[in-house]
Amino acid sequence: MAALDAVVAASPARAAQPAGIALPSGLLCLVAVLCFLVPLVGSLPSPTGGDVLAAGLPPFSNGHILGTDLNGNDVLSRLAYGGRSSLVIALLANLAGLVVGATLGAISAQAGGAVDAVSMRILDAFIAFPSLVLVLVIAQALDASVPGTIVALSCFTIPAFARVARAATLRLREQAFMLAAGLSDAPAWRILAFHVGPNIVPQLTSFLFLGVGISIIVEGALSYLGLGVPPPAPSWGNMIFHGQQAMHSQPSLILLPSLCIFVTVLACNLLADALRRRWTAQ
Amino acid sequence: MRFAARLCLSVAPVLFAVSLITFFAIEVLPGNTAEQLAGVNATAEQIERLEQALQLDRPPWVRYGEWIGGAIVGDLGVSLANRQSVVSLIAERLPVTLALTSFALALALAAAVPLALISVYRPGGAVDRTVAILSMTGLSLAGYVLAPLLILVFAVQLGILPSIGYVPLSDDLIGGIRSLILPATALAVPLLGLYTRFLRGDLLEQIDSHDYMLAAKARGIGPWRALLRHALPNSLFGLMTLVGLHLGALLGGAVIVEQIFALPGIGQLLLQSVNLRDITVIQAIVLLLATATVLANLTVDVLYAALDPRIRHGRA
Repeated sequence: MAALDAVVAASPARAAQPAGIALPSGLLCLVAVLCFLVPLVGSLPSPTGGDVLAAGLPPFSNGHILGTDLNGNDVLSRLAYGGRSSLVIALLANLAGLVVGATLGAISAQAGGAVDAVSMRILDAFIAFPSLVLVLVIAQALDASVPGTIVALSCFTIPAFARVARAATLRLREQAFMLAAGLSDAPAWRILAFHVGPNIVPQLTSFLFLGVGISIIVEGALSYLGLGVPPPAPSWGNMIFHGQQAMHSQPSLILLPSLCIFVTVLACNLLADALRRRWTAQ
Repeated sequence: MRFAARLCLSVAPVLFAVSLITFFAIEVLPGNTAEQLAGVNATAEQIERLEQALQLDRPPWVRYGEWIGGAIVGDLGVSLANRQSVVSLIAERLPVTLALTSFALALALAAAVPLALISVYRPGGAVDRTVAILSMTGLSLAGYVLAPLLILVFAVQLGILPSIGYVPLSDDLIGGIRSLILPATALAVPLLGLYTRFLRGDLLEQIDSHDYMLAAKARGIGPWRALLRHALPNSLFGLMTLVGLHLGALLGGAVIVEQIFALPGIGQLLLQSVNLRDITVIQAIVLLLATATVLANLTVDVLYAALDPRIRHGRA
């Protein structure tokens, strides 16, 4: 999770802008179309149960535009279905983080005092674990499965969102409207929902994309190790792992899923960065 | 000293919570150790006997007490899989992980500092933009994405570096370093992106919002000298904190990089133990990694105070 903070913390006064909002959003849409629409409209072969006789076909073969893997499965189809599970897992884990973690963080900051001190120590403890190690240990105990991976990833997205929401809420404290809300005798839930909530949404949104990027990396690592999406179902991580067996003869089996992970994560990072710059400027 | 004492007071509860999470997360989750060890064909009776032999049938909080008591005096029990002492298992592997992570950290810092300096020399210029793209790219490359590519290029195509395996540094210094170049690079590149972005931002902040940089300029000090002698030392404080905070990313990354390159380090031991469900070893490694992160942050805070008089005297 560590990587998240520094990206947020690094707020270059004069940014050398790697990209605006359009480029990364476009890339993400492209990935989403590949993963969610292509399997629906096209006549993609099944991602599993391929014909061993058609194994290891190079890209641009007849009927398999990106070739087949060592089990004879269509690579394009595996990339699409693999990406689908990566994106769904990352999105759900981060939505859990957003809903549960951000709420807890904002409540803790508003409550202050002992509640805040205790919850901060608990958060620090969770954040002390290397994210991959925490997720790995929990994922293996839950057995390799899609829901298990989501639960495991939530164990680091929830504390991370809590921390971001807490910091953002604390920053609001000095604002005049928060003082006014406090003096107006409004109930605590009302202040949280109508005064704090809308004002920390921009930070949480930019963090959401960062979190999705990191979650895709961690999910890929789990699947690479065989602890994430259960084989034979495809995932970008286990495609890289299996591709290593044919490193000499068919490097495309490694390069294509690597490219998918890289482009998706890069787009998430760029988008998070662009969004953060936008709200800092305002 | 009072500063140090206050830090220790805030660190102790975190370490306690870390130990609770480590023990109970691994303990309470489904998947029975004895079942796993006894094998698929074991009868219920055999499993029960194994459970008693391993003392897994006692209440978890009793075992937590014994475990944490042992951990404090440096005894982490024995491996359930092969009855070897956990401490000796870890001690065998630790040098490999330490060599890998310190090599990676050194690479990342050695590249990040000059990259950040050349990009703030002319903010928004061509160099700055190139470095921004490079560091964003690095940040988005996971170790397991980069590692196969490095193997493909440097071991398979060019054949100039070994693809996998580890040569102990004490046996053969040159061979050992060669065996660590690719793994350390795979581990360093994402951190390099992170450090460069952070340091660039922090240096710019020194230049933009601190009078001492303006004063240096007014005294006719050249831009490089002002950057190196005035801005950089201040920014390195921030970078130090960042390195401490991100030790987890380094250690977590090491787990998967060790697996890819077949390096016999802590990460590989963790994955082997995970597959065997050897919970005493898993608990010990997870505790070790988390404690290392917490203590690294404490060290950074203390160093920070020792080096920066404003914090030492509570004026910042």
